[in-house]
Amino acid sequence: MKGAGAEQKDVAAGTQNLNGSGPDAEVRSRLDAVWELANDALFAVSLDGIIVAWNRAAERIYGYPAQTIIGKPLSLLVPEDRRHELETTITSIARGATIEHFETIRLRSDGVPIDVSLSIAPTRDEKGRVTSALAVARDITAIKQALRQAEVSSVKLSEREAMLRRALLALRKSLEETKSTQLHLVQAAKLESIGRLAAGVAHEVKNPLAVILFAIDYLAETVQRPDANMVGALNDAREAVLRADSVIRGLLEFSTATELTVSKEDVNSLLQKALLLVRHALTKSHIFVVEEFASDLPPVMLDRTKIEQVFVNLMINAVDAMPSGGTLIVRSRREQLKEPGPDVGYRRSDPFRVGQTVIVIEIEDTGTGIDEATRSRLFDPFFTTKPPGRGTGLGLAVCKPIVALHGGTIRIGNREGGGGARATVIFQSIRP
Amino acid sequence: MDKIRVLLIDDEPSFTRMLKLSLELRGRFEVRVENNGAYGLKVAQDFLPDIILLDVIMPDVDGGEIASTIRADRVLKDTPIVFLTAGVSKETTRAKGNVIGGQKYLAKPATVEEIIRCIETELRKPGGVAPGSSAVPKS
Repeated sequence: MKGAGAEQKDVAAGTQNLNGSGPDAEVRSRLDAVWELANDALFAVSLDGIIVAWNRAAERIYGYPAQTIIGKPLSLLVPEDRRHELETTITSIARGATIEHFETIRLRSDGVPIDVSLSIAPTRDEKGRVTSALAVARDITAIKQALRQAEVSSVKLSEREAMLRRALLALRKSLEETKSTQLHLVQAAKLESIGRLAAGVAHEVKNPLAVILFAIDYLAETVQRPDANMVGALNDAREAVLRADSVIRGLLEFSTATELTVSKEDVNSLLQKALLLVRHALTKSHIFVVEEFASDLPPVMLDRTKIEQVFVNLMINAVDAMPSGGTLIVRSRREQLKEPGPDVGYRRSDPFRVGQTVIVIEIEDTGTGIDEATRSRLFDPFFTTKPPGRGTGLGLAVCKPIVALHGGTIRIGNREGGGGARATVIFQSIRP
Repeated sequence: MDKIRVLLIDDEPSFTRMLKLSLELRGRFEVRVENNGAYGLKVAQDFLPDIILLDVIMPDVDGGEIASTIRADRVLKDTPIVFLTAGVSKETTRAKGNVIGGQKYLAKPATVEEIIRCIETELRKPGGVAPGSSAVPKS
């Protein structure tokens, strides 16, 4: 059957004057079959850009019946912005070049753009002159759409991946914060338990201690002729009671270090007050005091009583580290944190931020310093290196939660170059 | 010279016995002891003390309630009250001038000398009753 465009098959076959018999007829028959059955659009265009042949697949793909499109310019199929391709293509073909798998966009009869892959070859006359172009156009709209879809999906996937990464980071950060909060809660719960225990112990033990103290005083007042041993025994008993009381006091202070009454305070005057409170111990141990107080300190929100207690505890420790005398150096300064460090960073759990202005207080002694084993246990309750009767082991244990409650930090180490220990307390400053 | 009349309200008999002995040993104090807080007001009305030393935590009624009833009493309302407590540390009471919530406190264990100093300070304050001369005639 001769379908639409039968006339153009001569062009497609590139043969002329065939009478339908012999080997040429067989070739022609094969080409007819290809023309009819091809799934891709096949069409021929004269060198002046006029469509001269058009197969069934072309009708289906472009939407133009052969009878309406043949004789019309090829530019009908080409979008405005791609017209330049037309001239280039025809010029190339006229020179005898072949174009393979050129992907572009063409228009259907209803104006809808379609993606096509074009392969174009020149057709020649018996003298070998290029007379027209034979084009094979494959509709790749579905493939292109799928590719575009895949591209969009890929972009979306990348966005999702980035989102997931951000979520994962946030989750990790949140986990870190949760762990930190959990630690604080556990610590707070521990403190609360110790607090309840301490309050109970204090009440139950302080009354008997008071009775013993009164009894010692009474005996000391009433015994008519006390011998030297009795005086010593009563003194020892009195000291033992006072020591037991100091342990209870330490426990109470340790456990009540959870509430603050803060106000704007001048750190230097708190340091001076603490020095005043320990002056007796300083004099007794022949300790020379060096004060290096910065004069430009901004105020800090502190619980005056509790911070005085921290400074006193640190100074007493320094004094006890210098039993044969020495120098106590008390220093204060304002500092801008320039780089990340143990307590300085960008995480929410870091007490201080890079760039933040802080108040640094240093209390140094010229004793023998602290060994590593001691250093790791310094803040443990009831840990002490002092001789029996000299320390309860609660001084530093009390200091740490108090400073932490103020949003500050406390570190204890050795002075650079050895020869003593240094306690460093850091607080956030407030804008004056 | 009249002795300073001290009313000691504390549920711990050994504590009150020893403090009474120790204060009276000085010869300047007359001490009445009450170990049941519920009788605190009644004993105070009867004894008309110059000063009251009052335990904070007691089984039947706490020191705060007893202080309120005493403050509401027309005769006793100006009698100085010093709380004795085993629940507050010495540092805390000292840091706040031995005053918490407007009330005078002494942390246990306090020495007899500390207690005597506190009594004398309270009685010297304006409004404090001269030792041995309560606000109303004793009957």
